[in-house]
Amino acid sequence: MGLGGIGPGIGLGIGFSKAMEAIGRNPEASGTIFVPYILGLALTEAIGIYALVVSLIILFAS
Amino acid sequence: MVHVEIKAEELFSIGPLIVTNSMVGAVLASVVLLLIARWFTRRSGIVPSRGQSAIELPIEFLAGVVRGTGGKRWRQFAPLILGIFLFVLTANWLSLLPGVGTIGFAEEVGGKQIIVPFVRAGAADLNFTLGLALISFVTFIAFGLRANGVRGYLKELLIAEPAYMTPLLTPIHLISELSRVISLSMRLFGNVFAGEVLLATMLALTTATVFILPLAFVIPGVFIGLELLFGLVQALVFALLTMTYITLAIAEHREHESADDHSGEAPETGTAPAHGAA
Repeated sequence: MGLGGIGPGIGLGIGFSKAMEAIGRNPEASGTIFVPYILGLALTEAIGIYALVVSLIILFAS
Repeated sequence: MVHVEIKAEELFSIGPLIVTNSMVGAVLASVVLLLIARWFTRRSGIVPSRGQSAIELPIEFLAGVVRGTGGKRWRQFAPLILGIFLFVLTANWLSLLPGVGTIGFAEEVGGKQIIVPFVRAGAADLNFTLGLALISFVTFIAFGLRANGVRGYLKELLIAEPAYMTPLLTPIHLISELSRVISLSMRLFGNVFAGEVLLATMLALTTATVFILPLAFVIPGVFIGLELLFGLVQALVFALLTMTYITLAIAEHREHESADDHSGEAPETGTAPAHGAA
């Protein structure tokens, strides 16, 4: 779980910082950036969720 | 140690159909959604009242997003996207109400007393999310088939663009199509289930301190606020990903016949106003 959290953590950080950068450069585009941003975060976060689900299954269903 | 059950517990069975407590949660969510919809469509007016605009605001927002990115056929799948969004949102938020997951009958398992709750969050059961993901899967394949034709769709799926890359790319294509179902269902299940576990853990951790500091009233509250946000985001993500997959399945079609398709599309996107998305 810890190892599985590292990768998505880094990925989410990069994604978030880039999105903030983009909004900083072009504040009017925040509406357009928002949807692809949420999608990207969801896809990145899915990997962390896989690790979480596997660890929870090992923890509780054994 | 907090007691957590991965799979939904059985309550009773009607013939061969076993009713679990997650199913009760899901049915409850849809009933609540239908009642809200009925209440607000019966007394709706041209000039919306305050409650009506509060209900219409998220729908308008999502419809604007679907219109902005869904291409010219957005009207065909917008109801599905909105339905998924509202259903998942209602199911997620209902699961935060007091009594859901806590009121139930006691049962003795392995010498320990556990509570089998009557109602459990719908999305805290993999069957619920897998069902929704399969609906989304069938829909985007159906849209792909309709936009490209059976032959075009199979060609898109099975034959890569430089023909010599086919043996390498075809398995990747197939796996990526199938993994969408897994990732859609696992994401929602993992988030909601982890939220339940998180709330239970926070409550169990802070109950011990209740005689020293009233932390048990503050800290779980903070996390319930967080779960409200997560429920919204996950519902949004599920709906938006379904929309993206459908749009991709349709958009593969546009690359093949580009010239006349774009001429018909131009005024459509031109007249679409920037709809609440900001």
